[in-house]
Amino acid sequence: MLHIRDARAAVFATPLFIAVAFVAHAQDNNSAVYRDVETKYIFGFTEGSGIGLEGEKEFSWESVARFGKADGRYWASETKLEYEFTPNQYVQFEFGPLVSTHNIKNVTDLDNRNQVAFGGFFGEIRYLLLDRGPSSPLAITLSAEPEWRRSDETSGQHVTNFELELKVNADLELIQNRLYLGANLLYEPEATHDPDHIGAGWEKESTGGVSGAISYRITPPVFVGAEVWYLRHYDGIWFNTYTGDAVYVGPTIYVQLNPKVFMTAAWNTQVVGHDVDVPGSTLNLAEFSRQRGKLKLAVEF
Amino acid sequence: MISNIAKKVFAVLLFAVACLPANAQQAASVTISVKNHRFQPAEIQAPAKVPIELRVKNLDLTPMEFESVRLRVEKVVPGNSEGIIRLRPLEPGRYNFFDDFHQETTGVLVVR
Repeated sequence: MLHIRDARAAVFATPLFIAVAFVAHAQDNNSAVYRDVETKYIFGFTEGSGIGLEGEKEFSWESVARFGKADGRYWASETKLEYEFTPNQYVQFEFGPLVSTHNIKNVTDLDNRNQVAFGGFFGEIRYLLLDRGPSSPLAITLSAEPEWRRSDETSGQHVTNFELELKVNADLELIQNRLYLGANLLYEPEATHDPDHIGAGWEKESTGGVSGAISYRITPPVFVGAEVWYLRHYDGIWFNTYTGDAVYVGPTIYVQLNPKVFMTAAWNTQVVGHDVDVPGSTLNLAEFSRQRGKLKLAVEF
Repeated sequence: MISNIAKKVFAVLLFAVACLPANAQQAASVTISVKNHRFQPAEIQAPAKVPIELRVKNLDLTPMEFESVRLRVEKVVPGNSEGIIRLRPLEPGRYNFFDDFHQETTGVLVVR
């Protein structure tokens, strides 16, 4: 069942993204030159196959915020301060620290909290498995992202957490330099040491997911699009015990602000979900948030 | 637990390195110049499916940045100097490039 309140948020976010696109369009003095584009960031939460250009380095600030639980007030974010470089035409590396924020009040099963904290570190390696060429519009990249956290993503509680995000990132060029389809396949095992501080040892869980996205270049520096994510959560790192799922949809935008600076943003709303502990539930607000947003600003050098 | 994760990360890194091309083939050599912010010639040619060594001579006084998303390279070449860019074996087709510091400066590599 589609939730009216959540659908309203998506309806609100879409015109906002389009307005930003028109502002960018108004600033575009370039003639209509649709150059080749790096597809990694044009699909929102869905990642494209791009691995950067050999010799390219980039620093970026990327925040992912999560809003809304079943009750109370819930707002949490995680920001990556990311350094990215591409040493050759096949592999890309990224790493950096994480900063987490939590603003939680009167949410069932979560302590009230208002904090900003150093959240941990992450690294990522991306390998271009299938190259896009003049006769092949499909490109596929494999990525592995190990993360260490000292702050629980959901509750903000001090923990020791390890996560490995494994992804297949694929995209298809439908119209050269203008229209792209993207898709991700996700497997994300993680383990948290004694999260409730009761001597319980390692608590293991895993998330699997698949996404689809479309992105259209409305002017040379601006892409707008939409994406859908289907996520399933399990106890145990090998998809052992199913606990619930969620479907997110929402708009995306990518703007090349100048040849060396770009921003990308996305807004996802949970429209359908299921929590096995809540019979009859139509959203899963235990493992997933009601809304999530992403904002990234990157400078290449 | 930690050592298991470390082993998996190491395995992925090892796989990535193992997948890198050996580059044992003889590279084809191609040269292009930049003068008055124009590529000369604007169209260059190279054979398909062999590594390519592209020599970029910048005859201007100011630096240029050779860039191409399809070729997946970028390289700054200071004024009055030259740079060498090594390209992976390519499929036949046209690969556009440009000078990122002077974006009207464009060219194309035709691979046959």
